[in-house]
Amino acid sequence: MTKLQFRVLYREFLFRVVDLELLAPQGDIAKLLGQFGAVLIFLSFALSMRAMFVGANSLPLQTLRAVLWERENTLISTTMLVVGLFAVLSWDSAFLNRRDVMVLAPLPVRARTLFFAKIAALATALSLTILALNALTGLAWSIVFAGANSGFADVLRSLAAYWSTMIAAGVFILCGVLGLHGLAAQLPRRRYLRVSALLQMAAFCLFLSVYFLQPAPVSVKALGALESRHLLEWLPTYWFFGLFQVLNGSVPAEIQTTILSLARRAEFGLAIAVLTAGTAFLLSYFRTLRKIVEEPDIMPGAGGIHWLPRFGNSVTTAIVHFSIRTLMRSRQHRVILAFYLGVGFAIVILFMQAPAPRQQALSASVSVAGLLASVLMLACAVAGARMVFTMPLQLKANWIFRVMPLPGPRGLLNAIRRSLLVLSVVPVWAVSAVALLWIWPWRIVAGHLVALALFGSILADVSLSGFQKIPFTCSYLPGAGYRGFLTVWSTLFVTVTAVGFERRALDSGAGYALMIAILCAAAACARWWSVARANSPESALLFEEAETPAIFALDLHRDGRLSA
Amino acid sequence: MLEIRGVSKLFSGIPAVDDVTFSARAGEVTGYLGPNGSGKSTTMKMITGLMEMTSGEILFEGRPIQRDLMAYKQRMGYVPEEPHLYSHLTGLEYLSMVALLRDLPVKPAAEKIDGLLRLFSLRGDRHAPISAYSKGMRQKVLLAAALLHNPDLLLLDEPFSGLDVGSALVLRSLIRELASRGKVILFSSHELETVERISSRIVILHRGRIVADDSIERLRVLMELPTLEGIFSQLAVEQNTEAVSREIADLILG
Repeated sequence: MTKLQFRVLYREFLFRVVDLELLAPQGDIAKLLGQFGAVLIFLSFALSMRAMFVGANSLPLQTLRAVLWERENTLISTTMLVVGLFAVLSWDSAFLNRRDVMVLAPLPVRARTLFFAKIAALATALSLTILALNALTGLAWSIVFAGANSGFADVLRSLAAYWSTMIAAGVFILCGVLGLHGLAAQLPRRRYLRVSALLQMAAFCLFLSVYFLQPAPVSVKALGALESRHLLEWLPTYWFFGLFQVLNGSVPAEIQTTILSLARRAEFGLAIAVLTAGTAFLLSYFRTLRKIVEEPDIMPGAGGIHWLPRFGNSVTTAIVHFSIRTLMRSRQHRVILAFYLGVGFAIVILFMQAPAPRQQALSASVSVAGLLASVLMLACAVAGARMVFTMPLQLKANWIFRVMPLPGPRGLLNAIRRSLLVLSVVPVWAVSAVALLWIWPWRIVAGHLVALALFGSILADVSLSGFQKIPFTCSYLPGAGYRGFLTVWSTLFVTVTAVGFERRALDSGAGYALMIAILCAAAACARWWSVARANSPESALLFEEAETPAIFALDLHRDGRLSA
Repeated sequence: MLEIRGVSKLFSGIPAVDDVTFSARAGEVTGYLGPNGSGKSTTMKMITGLMEMTSGEILFEGRPIQRDLMAYKQRMGYVPEEPHLYSHLTGLEYLSMVALLRDLPVKPAAEKIDGLLRLFSLRGDRHAPISAYSKGMRQKVLLAAALLHNPDLLLLDEPFSGLDVGSALVLRSLIRELASRGKVILFSSHELETVERISSRIVILHRGRIVADDSIERLRVLMELPTLEGIFSQLAVEQNTEAVSREIADLILG
């Protein structure tokens, strides 16, 4: 009975380990997980390609070491990032929630069966993630890391070191997140719900920031330097880098102390993370389950600000308010928007790390990276907001919009556009204004802010062209996310070109005026285009992405065949 | 007056509602009854404009509702069968959103929302998210949202679902009161006793077709049965209820 229950629950928990509502409410679960695995294997393939082109025999020792260390660090930090993102995405399914308890508690299932099934499902998901991500890199790079003139035993050792390090790094991240989440769950319910949302976002930002901002291990000298040692001691990716060197037996004598200290930190960190996660699971076993059942159904009224300004006529205001409240309160939607902002942030960081060309004119005080940061973050915010608008919150509650006397897409265009502007363009514009006024002369900033506002308007109109939906209300088909990604990448190209043009235009008033005039004209054209599309006769408000087919297939192609 | 004329709805060729014709008059409460799967909620959804009919016509005050659906929706209030609400909003926010979508004047709407929340005993929880509401509280929010704009036509699909005794009694009186003030009320329910008490007219649906459409008094006389339960059992219940219950008990007990 218990074994059968375990198997049933294990399967159920495994398929629910990633929040499906977040990724594809209408999607096929097997297809979705298959796509997820395929992306990881493709990433593994891309990362392993470089292993073939490392000239281990031709490069000088110092250069080869720098190349290999950089690669080792990248592979470890990529594994940690992917596991971290997995932990963030599976946030709500990491522990038994109220629905699990209410459905499963009345059944004759022991609590320990539930927990072992949950832990087994998480362990399987973690193993599959690490396996898919390192399937090809684990083999290709292990051979390279073993050394140029290594034997079979060295390759085996390198292979074992590689997989042990990756598994340890993945377990460290997942257990760290689970431990933190589980301990936060011990807070009073209302406080926990608020803290939990903040923790999820904080973990997400932390993983992305560390991945993109951490220094690369360039040389023995740099690793051994006192100031860099202090920094590395606080970076878990370097702890596991140290652990790999120790397990692989590739510690240079000059920095043996540093590497051993990092490896020790990895061991301690791993032990603490596992211990914390174990404690969190035990606490939820003994305490949280009962607490969930004993929670009153009605929570006391929430405090805070309930007022929002008007954004035009009544319908526009209702839809903008609805959009703001949905994005503010839906964790799934916030995480997706944060992902887009994170991508933008990462690209900005990459540009900031690149050396800036020397300039003598007015634009000398203005860096391309500075201009690019605001424009690119704006583009990513618009693409992210546009993406989350397509993902529904509660499809069954949409009837309220359907029974309302609402105007068609043309009448709602303003409401949808304002929702997008308020949630993406305005915040990025305001933050850019404050940040740029801090570092640049106000005249340059004023000019750039005008251009930024116009660019935001163009992006909003272009991205909403043909968008005939009230935000968060239309059913979602998997695949829409790829269009969002394409938008980001195509916008990136336009953005980099436009920013270069703007920087050159800064040196002449006439040039800048011409640029603003072009942007004004483009904004007007984009507006006209989106209004024209909303006005087209076939335009109608959509609540279903896939319409019911007019013709049903009868699937009669097998008629007349005898079954075997 | 609401008139339903020869309305049918086919799902993949299978009729869920088949040539249904009846009317609901102002000042009357029309009870719409039928067993599970008989097509009650499908009819309600077609009357609200949520679902398109395969054939037939629905008229409100002599005009087809599809001719000016916006104007019709302005005058209609609807309580659906399931209390599906945006649970991330608070009760107050949800009602305010409905008032804005209906373009009601801000100040009177705010006063009306406050009054409805108070009368439905929801005022203390107006800032709590709907996710924290009980089923009865969600039902009250739906009722308040349907009444907010003083509709001329009220479509109530299982409006008593989840309500406590006190709230159900209030709603029962409210339906009668609104009908007496000239509203057209069509409501569907499985609580035959309630339907019998408040309806002036009964429409019984069975397998998508109307099997009775008359006042309760006339149905009693025509069928020579004293209660609505007896009439309903004869017209719409095919099973021998006692035999089925015996069979279930036998099955459980082995």
